[in-house]
Amino acid sequence: MTKETFLHEKHVELGAKMVDFAGWHMPVQYTSIMEEHKTVRENVGLFDVSHMGEVFVSGKDSMEFLNSIVPQDISKLVYEKAVYCQLPNKNGGLIDDLIIYKLGITEYLVICNASRIDEDLNWMIRNEKDFDVKINNCSNNYSLLAVQGPKAIDLMNKLGYDGNQDSFTIKLGTVAGIKMLVSRTGYTGEDGFELMVENVHAEKLWDAILREGQEFGIKPIGLGARDTLRLEAALHLYGNDLDENTTPIEAGLSWSVPKDKTADYNGKSIILSQAANGVDKKLIAIVMKDRNIARHGYDVYFNGEKVGIVTSGAPSPTLNVNIALAYVKNVKDICVGCNVQVMIREKLHDAEVVKKPFVKKHNIVKV
Amino acid sequence: MSITEKILCSKSHEYVLDNENGTYTIGLTDYAVEQLGDIVFLELPEVGAEFKKGETFGTIESVKAASEIYMPISGKVIAINDTVVDAPEALNEDVYENGWLIKVESAVAETEFEDLLEYEDYKEELE
Repeated sequence: MTKETFLHEKHVELGAKMVDFAGWHMPVQYTSIMEEHKTVRENVGLFDVSHMGEVFVSGKDSMEFLNSIVPQDISKLVYEKAVYCQLPNKNGGLIDDLIIYKLGITEYLVICNASRIDEDLNWMIRNEKDFDVKINNCSNNYSLLAVQGPKAIDLMNKLGYDGNQDSFTIKLGTVAGIKMLVSRTGYTGEDGFELMVENVHAEKLWDAILREGQEFGIKPIGLGARDTLRLEAALHLYGNDLDENTTPIEAGLSWSVPKDKTADYNGKSIILSQAANGVDKKLIAIVMKDRNIARHGYDVYFNGEKVGIVTSGAPSPTLNVNIALAYVKNVKDICVGCNVQVMIREKLHDAEVVKKPFVKKHNIVKV
Repeated sequence: MSITEKILCSKSHEYVLDNENGTYTIGLTDYAVEQLGDIVFLELPEVGAEFKKGETFGTIESVKAASEIYMPISGKVIAINDTVVDAPEALNEDVYENGWLIKVESAVAETEFEDLLEYEDYKEELE
């Protein structure tokens, strides 16, 4: 059975094109992916991301427990702060990537990908051991809305919430008269907020945001633009760019793996050894030199040899070129500025390796 | 008589228009383009290429995905619409008057038209 969020009727009323995504019937676009994408880069957009999982972890040992399952040092996570991290298996391969928020002295909120909630929960329970911890999957109790774009802060202020809060923090607050958790996070490469609200208030909140957001040019944004936005920001999509055979080091996520963390965690020795000694494959960002689009699964060539595979690819509405992320063999010669080729419909097409991200916040990178 | 009254449509969403001089104009239906969303890339064959009914003659890409375009009838390509190759987003506006894809020359057998539908029937089939 395909699941529906509490905003499903709103999407249908707005004329969204609905698709199945990770077991959910979700809006892929309302009008046009291009238009929606630009709305988020220039103004502000509203996303329903209620399909994502919310798991509360509490109890005396909650910090020690989380610290034993992620590379990030949760002992250093302070009250109301958030951290991006991954959930590695014993080999360092990734079961999921997550955001962990500290809500109280022994209380944490874990946001996981919709497609991975069951795997994450199973893995957490398997790793519970003797920790005094309570794992509470509340994914069915909450709706999650994302307000993203340079004007998101103005809109939050207008909705009666003081948007002046640090990036990667979470606070209990009131938005449009409704109590909820508000974090200054997102997955678009823009400034923005994520609002976690009890399902019963979801429609009221959705309507209020669209109504009050009119003067800022707000539009509802589907998963199609969410994908092009995160790709421009070179943010990984689990299932495309991350999987159980890819470590955080291979994925270019070394920055989220502290080298001085004392606590042990799954895959630690492999991950740290890779961080110190290098890896066999690496994630590169490429820009096509012609109008062809490198899609997920296409082969990548270098000097006539097949060296890897595209994991995400799409047109970039901001840069007006076609961009992609690809895993390639970690040979020194494949570096920023050099040329690779992508096999598209039995022909090789040139692409240039560029720095990540393709688009920086409010600062378009020339390619 | 509007174009949609004269075309025949395939189940894979191509249309064919009989120019009544041994040539046919081929394109994608408005439904196909609407379903694809923002069109960003179009690849069409060279003039002179020959295809059988059902063969892939081109590729159309939206932001989300690449799709193949199939020949609704057999024929030899005599013209391609360079305007839409250069600006494929124009297909989102119109697929019939200016948004055709290729013209073919064909002494096509009647049987090739048997599985093609008139526009009204095609639309009904979609519902």
